[in-house]
Amino acid sequence: MVDFLRDFIHILRSSDLRVSTSESIDAMNVVSEVGLDDKSLLKDSLSFSLAKTLREKEIFNKCFDNFFEENYMNLKGEKLSKENHEEDIEFDELNNIENTEKNLEELYKSSDKTSLMTVMALAARDANLQDIKLFTQVGMFTRKIFDEMGLEKLNNDIFQAAREGDGKREGELKNIRENLRLEIRDYVENQVKLRTTNAGKQLREDALSQMRLTQADKSDYQIMSGIIKKMARRLISVHSRRKRKSQRGVLDIRSTIRANQEYDGILFETVWKKTKVDRPKIVALCDVSGSVANVSRFFLMFLHSLTEILPNVRTFAFSNKAGEVTDLFENKDIEVAAAETLLLNGGGSTDYGQAFVDLEGFLENNIDRKTTVIILGDARSNYGDPRCDVLKTIQEKSKRILFLNPEPKSVWGTGDSEMLRFVPYCSKSKVCSSLFDLERVVDDMLRSSI
Amino acid sequence: MSNNKTSSNGSAKDLIENIQSNFEKQGYICNTHIATAIFLSQSLGKPILVEGPPGVGKTELAKATAEWMKKPLIRLQCYEGLDEAKALYEWKYGKQLLYTQVLKDKLNQIVSKSDSLESSINNLNNFDDIFFSEKFLEPRPLLKAIESENGSVLLIDEIDKSDDEFEAFLLEILSEYQVSIPEIGTIKGNVKPIVFLTSNNTREIGDALKRRCLHLYIPFPDPFLEEKIISSRVPEIDKNLKIQLVNFVQGLRNLDLKKLPSVSETIDWARSLVLLNVKNLEPNLVRETLNILLKFQTDIDVSDPEIDNLIEQSKK
Repeated sequence: MVDFLRDFIHILRSSDLRVSTSESIDAMNVVSEVGLDDKSLLKDSLSFSLAKTLREKEIFNKCFDNFFEENYMNLKGEKLSKENHEEDIEFDELNNIENTEKNLEELYKSSDKTSLMTVMALAARDANLQDIKLFTQVGMFTRKIFDEMGLEKLNNDIFQAAREGDGKREGELKNIRENLRLEIRDYVENQVKLRTTNAGKQLREDALSQMRLTQADKSDYQIMSGIIKKMARRLISVHSRRKRKSQRGVLDIRSTIRANQEYDGILFETVWKKTKVDRPKIVALCDVSGSVANVSRFFLMFLHSLTEILPNVRTFAFSNKAGEVTDLFENKDIEVAAAETLLLNGGGSTDYGQAFVDLEGFLENNIDRKTTVIILGDARSNYGDPRCDVLKTIQEKSKRILFLNPEPKSVWGTGDSEMLRFVPYCSKSKVCSSLFDLERVVDDMLRSSI
Repeated sequence: MSNNKTSSNGSAKDLIENIQSNFEKQGYICNTHIATAIFLSQSLGKPILVEGPPGVGKTELAKATAEWMKKPLIRLQCYEGLDEAKALYEWKYGKQLLYTQVLKDKLNQIVSKSDSLESSINNLNNFDDIFFSEKFLEPRPLLKAIESENGSVLLIDEIDKSDDEFEAFLLEILSEYQVSIPEIGTIKGNVKPIVFLTSNNTREIGDALKRRCLHLYIPFPDPFLEEKIISSRVPEIDKNLKIQLVNFVQGLRNLDLKKLPSVSETIDWARSLVLLNVKNLEPNLVRETLNILLKFQTDIDVSDPEIDNLIEQSKK
């Protein structure tokens, strides 16, 4: 029972569901309370102690079904053999081991699937199957388990039969060996499926969040928007906490006196004024022409995933002309909105000067000292007038301008890049080429806005 | 041992069914999932964190449990700014002041008896202990629940509305069922209370708190269960109308609404339809009474074009 639970929790953990030690102890208690006989009761009960959000419940249900489809027979087998053990455990266990060593052939022939599974599970444990990481290891583990189960004996038998010239027996034994091998392989493959689906994903996610976004492939978009959601969740939990801390203001004398009337006017309790925290206003202007489109796409998705802590976001996209895309993101699914943004505003040659003029037109008086303007683009304006004067007025009206450029610093100012002319008007200019960079930039921005 | 196992398992199942039927008697209809959670929290002595959309009977569950176990229900409603003094205990400052005033003469006597400053301080020190004793302690819900002689059902409602600090402060109480009061010491109850925490998920509850609780998620009920709930709460309803009504509400929950109609709102609607002496759902009537189910004008606008369709489907 402990083994099965340990295995199950191991699988839950590898499927991105955190289970703490105290929770696994709880699960153990739960199992001893309800027993193993009723599968649906077991599922209900375990879900109370192991899965603690709606998302986790979904993962739990999937894992439970997979695991038990596979192991329930096995589990029952284990229980049965345990019942047998009861009379004389040591003797039985010894016997058991000897049995498997000797009678792999008999075991197979007896068509007792349960005990075969039990033997296989025991062998798998000895071969450390739970450590399997990649599907390429299937062959190796199959062989290891087979060895543990007594392959050598079977091989010897085959060899002996061949030497004695008993062709029929040789063929039969070879047949058994092949079938057993297939069965073990199936078992191992199943285990791989259970245990490694997520490990591979984890690896891929790590790689993707470090990769330059301009290199990102369409097939990865889905995973990447998943990563963005995760990052956004992380930032939300970090930043919503800090805000509450900094909300306490100075002593509220009037309320303090009122609150302490019941103590004869002696000031036991203090009441504090609450300071209002200005929510940062954010205006983002994103270049969506060919080369930068990918970065803009993910940046926009990121900003709009943060509505909980950034309620005042307005976003604009441009290539040769700027257009507002806030509504798109607010009313539609975030991925659809991102795709539509590129369709509506992409194409045409980039013109930063025109974009700045348009932005100023859109904002008019809606820009004040609380507004952070974020510009994302490669600053390559096709030799058009960069209109630094407009950028300067925007800078004067706003709190600050952040410029995010996906190009490495070494090429800023080369060719048609106007980056070096923009830098003086920005309070910060940063290289931002991967999801990882994006997260850091947004985190920074939130930190300094409070 | 195996025999024990099966028998205890059998009794576990019986106990769960027993809980379910007892709840039913009080008019709280639940599925096995919920009953299992109650059973486990009782046998493991762990608090239950109940989550789910508003109006699915999270608070009712605690009330039903209290009723079933014949134990007092102690309720603590959480809100922003809730602190120890309101949740745990408070010194009766007024009483302390009053007593010192009344006993002034007595105090003077005692102090005048002693000849040196040191001995008079020593004498006064004895009174310090008297004034900070349990006589002057005002127990608030949490302390009350722990102190109660025969156990109790403690309901900490809408924990997500409280601050993070309060959540951290609950940890000691929930895992050890004890309270430390600096002036007196640690107070530990004889009987563990049964603790329910409810949350509407307006913010994420901390991992530390979650780890100490069993987690129960109550979703909207399926049509079968909802019909049962309606017939238990509004027994005078026409059977035909009941089926239509439940199907209609279930259909409404599939629409893209700001706030989905909850079970309690379905019950309210059923009651008002009974009052209006309705036998069949009619589009006009539904439109007139829809504000019982939906609490936002935008939701009413969104569902308006679908109403005829939904009524048609619900009559099938």
